[in-house]
Amino acid sequence: MDRAQNNDTVGAEQLPASKMGFFTDVTLCIGCKACEVACKQWNQLPSDGYALTGNSYDNTSRLSATTWRHVAFVEQMDREVPADSRWMMMSDVCKHCTNAGCMEACPTGAIVRNEFDDVYVQPDVCNGCGYCVPSCPFGVVAVQPKAGVAQKCTLCYDRQKDGIEPACSKSCPTDSILFGPIDELQVKARARVATLQAAGKEAHLYGVDGEETRDVGALNAFFLIPDRPEVFNLPPKPVLPSRFQPAAYASALMGAAAMALVGAGIFRRSGDRA
Amino acid sequence: MQTSQPHGEGYAAAGNFSPDAVAASMQRGDGGFGREQQTYFDHPILRKAHWRWEIVAYFFAGGVAAAGYALASLARRGGDPADAELVRNGRYTALAGSLISSALLVKDLGRPERFLNMLRIAKLKSPMSVGVYTLVAFSTNAGFSALEQARIDGLIPLALPGFITKPVGALTGVPSTALMSSYTGVLLSATAIPIWYTGRRHIPAIFACSAATTGVALQSLLLALFGGSPRTAKKLETVELVASLAEAALLLDWERRAGDVAKPLFTGKRGSKLKTYTLGLGIALPALLNLGSVLSRKPPKKHHRVRTILTSALALYGGYVLREAVVYAGRDSADDPRAYLRHPE
Repeated sequence: MDRAQNNDTVGAEQLPASKMGFFTDVTLCIGCKACEVACKQWNQLPSDGYALTGNSYDNTSRLSATTWRHVAFVEQMDREVPADSRWMMMSDVCKHCTNAGCMEACPTGAIVRNEFDDVYVQPDVCNGCGYCVPSCPFGVVAVQPKAGVAQKCTLCYDRQKDGIEPACSKSCPTDSILFGPIDELQVKARARVATLQAAGKEAHLYGVDGEETRDVGALNAFFLIPDRPEVFNLPPKPVLPSRFQPAAYASALMGAAAMALVGAGIFRRSGDRA
Repeated sequence: MQTSQPHGEGYAAAGNFSPDAVAASMQRGDGGFGREQQTYFDHPILRKAHWRWEIVAYFFAGGVAAAGYALASLARRGGDPADAELVRNGRYTALAGSLISSALLVKDLGRPERFLNMLRIAKLKSPMSVGVYTLVAFSTNAGFSALEQARIDGLIPLALPGFITKPVGALTGVPSTALMSSYTGVLLSATAIPIWYTGRRHIPAIFACSAATTGVALQSLLLALFGGSPRTAKKLETVELVASLAEAALLLDWERRAGDVAKPLFTGKRGSKLKTYTLGLGIALPALLNLGSVLSRKPPKKHHRVRTILTSALALYGGYVLREAVVYAGRDSADDPRAYLRHPE
């Protein structure tokens, strides 16, 4: 229904045959950060400053209004059996959820689903109320103070419209980031999981049909991860905020009704006496 | 529970250098995690709202305005001529409150000049959109009734005709006032921030009760300052007593049920401020001071002005502290990845 609602920006005949998205394979990432750089360059995002966090090679820390790809560096050092140590890198990005919390929360309609089925913030419509920010179950979208509007990965909407792949996947030297129709990517991802598991390695998909899709649905940017989601700062069970509305409205109306009854009772009773 | 918060105020402006993060890494010594890794460097998973004092004040002013409008309507319906001052004050404060609320809401936007973009669509799924239309409807009604009052007071020769104001009031008066007092609680509850969504059964009702407490306190204060009947004052004290005790009960119930996830609100500096100024000085003390006159059966003769001014000011400040604590506790909750990972519902 949402999809149909938001199609007023494009003619239905322009809809591509398939939803487009990313498949990010953590087992192939070498942590070169080419995706971060390509994203910044193409989208003309300002610098976040030169700072060291001390957290492995991760000096970006997280996705933000001006960082739409972020490479996480996970060092799992095993002191007893050093050979069991792992150093993993994951290029994180906006998940472009099927049920997007940010889009549901947006009061201006600035956040829409575009013809490629990706969640897009229209920068000329957003008024910076910031309600999408705490409504994103992945902590992705953020308000950029200088622009005064919410910003996040557009899945290179501009490049997609010209039929070219997004900057990050284009620049990825190991094809850890793949771009394409979601159904094709999911087939590739499942084959890759099978290959890895046959070789005795831990591997599973995040954002295809696991527990994490309970609320937000399948993710248009999904991942292959060789460990639990929280290791890569992904929530194992992301929540969709609109799920909490019935209980919240019930509480609001019960509270307001109770107060109105108290007031009515006290003012009516004394009124009769007067 | 260890929570490092490398993303404090001004994080975006100052870059992401965090002495805390460096110190934690140095302390670990091996520069990484073992296989038992619980979080990613304790980095927040969620992102906190940018909301500052404007939103806290907006929540507060909206509640006070809603209660002012409700009291004026109920008192007028009750028909006690002694309540005429309350009706007048309530109507004017409702309009003033809705104007202040709108100004605060606009000021908080990243692009205030685009406020009207909120009105280009109506979206029931978004509590922010529902809230904006609530504010518009409430302000309209508050404006109509303030104009009507100004005509009664002889300030203006004629107000808007009834065939315009009455249908609008009949259709939107009750729902917009009810939502105005409490939708801000829904706004917080329907997010991904653990302390807010786990409090979804409590926060909106607490805000409704607090709107009544603070709204009544403001009306009592105005009557004490500018004169009013002692009988009205007693009725207000009674409403305030019931509303504030309900508010306290709900707050304590929330604390009891929430457990760890509500720690940013009920413990530490914020917790003691909440308990001192909201529960203690804002609710318990006024309740004790007013209990005698509320329970007394004799019709009140004297207006205890000093006591009313003191208890009302305390109740108003307590209500502000409550909104501030609940809004700002969301920041710490968003910054704590463990709260979200435990996923309490």
